[in-house]
Amino acid sequence: MMLAFILLTLFSVAILFLGFIKQRNVIIPISILAILSAIISISTEQNFWNHYLMDMIRIDFNSKIVSLIILYTGLALVPFFALFQKRGNEELADFMGIFIFSIVGALLMVGAVNYMTLFLGVEILSISMYILAGADRRKVKSNEASLKYFIMGAFASAFMLFGIGLIYASTGSLSLLNIASQSSVLTDFALVFLFSSFAFKIALVPFHFWTPDVYEGTPTLFTAAMSTIVKVAAFGSFYNLIQLNTPLLPDWIQWYFVFLILATLIIGNLMALSQRSVKRLLAYSGIVQAGFILMGFLQLDANSEWPIFFYFIAYTLASLVAFIVVHFVEVQSGSDDIDSFAGLSKSNPSLAIFMTLALISLAGGPLTAGFIAKLLMLNQAIQSGFSALVIIAVICTLMSVYYYYKIVNSMFSKSGDSRWSIPFIYNGLLLIFIIITFAAGIVPTYFTNLLRNF
Amino acid sequence: MNLAIILILIPLFFSAACFVSGKKLAPYISLLSGIISIFYFLLLMGSYNVKDNYLAFNTSILWIPSLRAYFHVGLDAAAILPMLLTQLVITLSSLGTIVKGNGRNASFYSLIGLTHAALNGFFCAQNPITFFIFFEAALIPIYFLVLNFGGANRQQAVFKFFLYTAFGGLLMLAAVVFLQVNMHAYLHLESWVDFYQNKMAIKYQYWLLAAFFIAFAIKSPIFPFHTWQADLYTQADRPTLIIIAALMSKMGVFGLIRFNFLFIPALYDWFYYLILICLIGVVYGALIAWRQRDFIRIIAYSSLSHMGLIAAGILTLTNKGVQGGLFAMIAHGLGVAGLIYASDVIIRRTEESSIDSSSGIAKVNPRFATYFFIILLSTIGLPLTCGFIGEFYLIWSIAEFRLPFGILAALTLIFGAAYMLRFYQKTMFGVSSNNVLNFDKLSLSEDYVFIIIVVLILALGLFPADWMGLGQFAYQFMNYIPTK
Repeated sequence: MMLAFILLTLFSVAILFLGFIKQRNVIIPISILAILSAIISISTEQNFWNHYLMDMIRIDFNSKIVSLIILYTGLALVPFFALFQKRGNEELADFMGIFIFSIVGALLMVGAVNYMTLFLGVEILSISMYILAGADRRKVKSNEASLKYFIMGAFASAFMLFGIGLIYASTGSLSLLNIASQSSVLTDFALVFLFSSFAFKIALVPFHFWTPDVYEGTPTLFTAAMSTIVKVAAFGSFYNLIQLNTPLLPDWIQWYFVFLILATLIIGNLMALSQRSVKRLLAYSGIVQAGFILMGFLQLDANSEWPIFFYFIAYTLASLVAFIVVHFVEVQSGSDDIDSFAGLSKSNPSLAIFMTLALISLAGGPLTAGFIAKLLMLNQAIQSGFSALVIIAVICTLMSVYYYYKIVNSMFSKSGDSRWSIPFIYNGLLLIFIIITFAAGIVPTYFTNLLRNF
Repeated sequence: MNLAIILILIPLFFSAACFVSGKKLAPYISLLSGIISIFYFLLLMGSYNVKDNYLAFNTSILWIPSLRAYFHVGLDAAAILPMLLTQLVITLSSLGTIVKGNGRNASFYSLIGLTHAALNGFFCAQNPITFFIFFEAALIPIYFLVLNFGGANRQQAVFKFFLYTAFGGLLMLAAVVFLQVNMHAYLHLESWVDFYQNKMAIKYQYWLLAAFFIAFAIKSPIFPFHTWQADLYTQADRPTLIIIAALMSKMGVFGLIRFNFLFIPALYDWFYYLILICLIGVVYGALIAWRQRDFIRIIAYSSLSHMGLIAAGILTLTNKGVQGGLFAMIAHGLGVAGLIYASDVIIRRTEESSIDSSSGIAKVNPRFATYFFIILLSTIGLPLTCGFIGEFYLIWSIAEFRLPFGILAALTLIFGAAYMLRFYQKTMFGVSSNNVLNFDKLSLSEDYVFIIIVVLILALGLFPADWMGLGQFAYQFMNYIPTK
């Protein structure tokens, strides 16, 4: 585990410096090497240098799986950075270095068993993301996104720090592991602050206000990273925190989650209905999906981890495909308005098909990973006794079907302008994501067993 | 023996083949897929003895262990008639497209193949979760078929259709998950039998019944949930429409057959009202059909009327109702496929779709008029055609339930005769109008479509006994569980 951090950090610094020498072609292979080395060191459970951790980070089964999801997502995104090559050496190296550094933060968050490491991870990830949000520095919107994200993120960090402080005041320890089990008013307050700061990071309603603006302004590739890596990391560490602290949790916490889920599903969907910009729409869709993931938190027992991880995977795959398609459409037409998707089925059929399948998965269509994920979540909610929540979730899913298929309708109806294509390798990557989405939807057990044996 | 799953794999394989084969070959590959499916299905039926085992050729896989959800497909007595209809109608629908100037590309046939696979899976599904998967899966290719190949206003029409059916489907999803979760603590939930044997507590049954009924009512459609129908029917490409009208609409009533018996105590409290709703739809659909001038709209509303009748018969929960319902499904499927294809033939030649715009086709093309007449007789339920026996049983079962209801149901025959005969008289007889003067002869593939439909209509009408027997077995297995 430690080895992965060290390797990734060293590599990210090295990549930052690679920008100075005029070797643009080595940056991407080296980044892939960096992430691959981290994947290997985590999946083979290298304990090299682990004794320096002093119980600050622990890699157990859950954090291993989430770390691997994050690393694979990062690996999947790296090839698309080649598009920055056109814009010059320094930019590519800077973005790549910071991106890999953000993965370090994400892994730190997921593995943390001490509030200090947790906070460190949150800050590393967030600060990297603030920078990446403003990557398109010639555009006002990107600058705005960066600033907005920074201010809101600073708020969330302050909340989290305050929560940590209260926890420390009430228990006298910063460790997630050995907290005295009795709960007091102080810990109740601490948990509200902590959970709210996580809700900020995950973008749950009512802590979601930054999301659409930031997603819209950020260069789409980084939006893809934001909606996958940041969300999975935040959810992963949230899950870790809750699972390790189960004895501390008061009874009202379930109702707090139900409130968050309801608000997220209803408001997220209502807001998404009227969006014209596909990126904003996907931002709200990500909010709604996060609401669904939170349903898995209603019942925390031995079986609750897999539904959540499965949802991470399903959501990550579909969301990556959707954002990458938006990215290419944006490159081509200069806008992410829903009208610029019109006729995509004529001008670039493969992208239209990939986008459609990704949206079907996001909407929970059958035989896709998204369907199984939703099914498992509804199952969790019913098993923990919230049947009414399920009905609302189903109605919300219908609303989401409406806006997802609005994009599909647009892509398949009006005739587009000239044909254009994207490099073969990107088509191949997107095809792989889609194949995994369907494989996970058709043979979910085989798929989860495969992951379990990593 | 896992032989039934091959019924799903054949169209899937050929769908992929269509996709890569290109525009020229795709129609023939699609046709080949249909023919192979028919022969394979007949082969299976030849070695299936309904008296000995209620379920055969099934494949059962533990699919999601945490839900104890099985993926389970197989053939049983209830599935056979709809399966036969599916193979026939899909094949006829691809055969019907092999005509001059057919502008459909390979993806059209590929989507038809996907629909075929999903429908086969749907009718073969042996537990609620598999049933739901295919219920939804069939919707997606149909959506793209209409979206890509429909008429000018297809976008709104198909979107409305999609939202309605997606709503029904999601309601059903919640109900299926609820069913699964609430039963799964102590049970092995592999096939329908496991569900029939262990019914839910009655307070849940009402909710579940409502959810399932709405889902099926939207799909069929049954009266208050039908508003998407006429728009979609007029906008859909007609080979697609044949699939929608002949097969998709059967999914709803077939669902009622499958799920009715799960909610037996709750359904006894409600079936009076549910049947009344269906019968209102019967009369309403027939009256509206009478007022229409457009062929396709007439067919749409007549479909609404017939589906209401089938649903009402099934909801009586009697042996006659289920038998009649299953048989009327295949009769209506064949009849409506024939009617739509006949309308398609007229519309392609005259480029008009109103009954006032062309007349006297019988004089120019008597052969076509004869085919059309036999199909029409079947749809209005004349004895010796296959339309008769099913409707007769349905009306009988409804009349035994409540006599006034039976009379209301019987009205459908009179209204049906009225609007259909007017449709026929206006288009076929009278002085030949200008746009039918050069009404081409039927091409070979068109001839085949009509001959197959007419032969089946007469054959099933003359020898219905064995097929009706299947319905009886289906009823027995659902109402009384055999001890193996």
